[in-house]
Amino acid sequence: MTVTAPAPSAAPAITPTLRAQLRRRRAWIVIAVVLVLGALVLLVAQGGLRAPGPALGAGNPAPAGSKALVEVLRTQGVTVTEAATIDEAVDGARRGATVFLHDEFGILGDGLDELAVTAERLVVAQPGFEALERLAPGVRLAGVAGGPLDEVACDVRAARRADALSDGQRLLTVDDAAAATGWTGCFRDGDLGYAVVTGPGTSGGEIVLVAASTVFTNEHVDEAGNAALALGLLGASAELVWYLPSPTDADEAAAPTIGELTPGWVSPVMVLAIAVVIAAGVWRGRRFGPLVVEQLPVQVPAGETSEGRARLYARSGARTHALDQLRIGAIERLAALLRLPRPADVAAVAEAAASATGRDAASVERLLVSDTPAHDREFVELAAELDRVELDVRRSIRPDSTHPTDSTRPTDPTRPTGRRP
Amino acid sequence: MAVTGRFVLLVALGVVPVVAAGVTSADAAWLALVGWLALAVGAGAVDLSLAGSPRRVALTRELPDRVRLGETVTAELAVQNLGRRMLRAVVRDGWEPSAGVAGPNRTPLRIPPGERRRMSLGLTPWRRGDRRTGEVTIRSAGPLGLWARQATLAAPGRIRVLPPFHSRAHLPSRLTRLREIDGRTPLLIRGQGTEFDSIREYVRGDDVRSIDWRATARHADPEAPGTMKLMVRTWRPERDRRIVIVADTSRTAAARIADEPRLDTAWEAALLLAALASHAGDRVDFLAWDRRLRGRVHGASGAELLARMVDTMADVDAELIEADWTAVPGQVRRVTSRHALVVLLTAADSPGSARGLLSVLPQLTSRHTVIVASVADPALVAASRERGSLDEAYTAAAAERALLDGERVAAAIRRLGAITVTAPPHELPPALADRYLELKASGRL
Repeated sequence: MTVTAPAPSAAPAITPTLRAQLRRRRAWIVIAVVLVLGALVLLVAQGGLRAPGPALGAGNPAPAGSKALVEVLRTQGVTVTEAATIDEAVDGARRGATVFLHDEFGILGDGLDELAVTAERLVVAQPGFEALERLAPGVRLAGVAGGPLDEVACDVRAARRADALSDGQRLLTVDDAAAATGWTGCFRDGDLGYAVVTGPGTSGGEIVLVAASTVFTNEHVDEAGNAALALGLLGASAELVWYLPSPTDADEAAAPTIGELTPGWVSPVMVLAIAVVIAAGVWRGRRFGPLVVEQLPVQVPAGETSEGRARLYARSGARTHALDQLRIGAIERLAALLRLPRPADVAAVAEAAASATGRDAASVERLLVSDTPAHDREFVELAAELDRVELDVRRSIRPDSTHPTDSTRPTDPTRPTGRRP
Repeated sequence: MAVTGRFVLLVALGVVPVVAAGVTSADAAWLALVGWLALAVGAGAVDLSLAGSPRRVALTRELPDRVRLGETVTAELAVQNLGRRMLRAVVRDGWEPSAGVAGPNRTPLRIPPGERRRMSLGLTPWRRGDRRTGEVTIRSAGPLGLWARQATLAAPGRIRVLPPFHSRAHLPSRLTRLREIDGRTPLLIRGQGTEFDSIREYVRGDDVRSIDWRATARHADPEAPGTMKLMVRTWRPERDRRIVIVADTSRTAAARIADEPRLDTAWEAALLLAALASHAGDRVDFLAWDRRLRGRVHGASGAELLARMVDTMADVDAELIEADWTAVPGQVRRVTSRHALVVLLTAADSPGSARGLLSVLPQLTSRHTVIVASVADPALVAASRERGSLDEAYTAAAAERALLDGERVAAAIRRLGAITVTAPPHELPPALADRYLELKASGRL
């Protein structure tokens, strides 16, 4: 009990103040700040913070861009123009330029047909399902190649010069109907398909389908024969139109996106819900003071020794030994019940028990002494039979009490104490 | 720092302005969201800065010194606000779980500066020994109840929880029997060791062997001249005998039988015996022993004896070490050099663990009357009867083996001249008391 002082003093606080906490964890705070700053510096140095830019963008120096290829084409004297809309691309095609198309998100619809009609030479990188349907019915997507491809398998000049393609190609198959209309594949990967497929356009132009965009990217253009193929395909004519469709080229008939349909407050309410969840977490998660430790005393269930011994008997199959324990107990209790002098002869106990219960003396003696259980079922039967004999003897002596009690064990508390007359 | 549910509600209410602004445009909704969050956090920060300090608090405890296990006490805590601001606090007192605090242990208090408020917790301890509290945690909310400051202050407190002494229910009946022995009822008790008390007139039912013929000859009956009044001698049992109770607190006392550790049963038995013996006029000494003296009560009598015994027992728990029985005769000799009744409260159930006890028993029995009291496991008796399946039959055999071991040890103890008392946990205290009365009646103390 705390003694009440005349001038009460504040109880000493265990929780450190904010300042003390900061001071104590100074080393960790400094380490954390250094780590975060270092990570930021590394990110900036590697250009990770910059937006990755459009895939296969003509002016994109990121690993997924195509600036390397475009610059090489320009130094080789090819005029490369970037088309922003489908109309510009079609204009370029009408001038006789080669058109490079990479429709990453499958935006173009009818624009594809227009290009196929007008372009003298159309190179499509990574065509989607719809593009194949419109440009080359009968050519289908067929998964990913298993490794580098070096089986040229066609007469296209650019492909022959390239001789091999790097790892990471995709495959297209050409069915018989398409093959009949002039579609051929290059760079075969066994029976699975081709990495490059060429064929005639709707109005006599040439269409080249390159299944993967790998060949044109800054990252992979210098591997195997990628550069040779890309330069060969794109540098065939004096002018190249580099066209990457943007959402403005989408068909006006297409359905509006989910973002356009939802009202303006939905996203802010979602953010608010997150804020509420965080606040509720802090509310419920803040512990009301430190955990209190309870010093518990040792306690052991007393029956463990006997249970362990039972499992040992069971594991080693010690039927005879186990039965002997039951027999010794039974003989002692029977001798006490039948008021036989101690130490009593087993034969005498068996005889007395047999006469009390009306059983055959020899069988009771066999049960009490000599029967050997040959298997588990016999052991259980003998054990139960021992119990029955004991119960019968008890019943024959005291018909009123059929429940065995441990009255034969020492100390019966109901026994009258030393009252002498 | 802590956040209240009210603050969470405030943040959630932001959905109204956000949706209202979002009907016109998405940008306005975003603006409303940022504005509302800033408002809520700002209000919380202002609230926090206005909250009373949970550190500038004086704490005073008023605790009852002792409580019997199972009883409920009130623990008072006075909280004085020493700061300059109003303290709107929720207080949690850091009692051990086994102190059994009633309710959620969150007490709201409003304390104006300089004033003091009293809070009380109902404690119902469920383990004996010292139950402690180390600290008090105070969460002080601001006037708006949005954010709160929290601090934990040191304020140690302690309640001593005494053994329950359930077996005192058996005391009245044993005291009645004691009075019967004591000659206060017309029934006479005679034995070899009893002492002569007085001579009085014969009443029907008295033992004719105790008629004192010489005294009869001296007492003429005034109502019928010429006849004599039959006079009998009365005897009373010895008083001022010594009883030394030695409780074994070693590893065997940690065993839990019928949901009660052996040690607790030993405490019950020791308390009942001590209460009975001190009523009978005998002197009781108590020792708790494993390898060292864990507790000792010497030279106390009457109500003080029981008070000191429960106080000593309260803090003793079983330890996982083997008992050192060789030093026990020496300990008993230090208590008394005369003949005494030595009661050993231990576990005599397997030959292995009883070897130490058996080796020193002759030293004790040569000088004293010795009772070895141990708890029998009723589960073993039940298990030895279940023989329906193979597993049960093996379990029955193992239980039978354990019972036979116990009986072998008991027989060895009896052969060495000591008396054994073995009973299930709830029957051991009265059984021991009965055996004591039996010895007293026959004058063997």
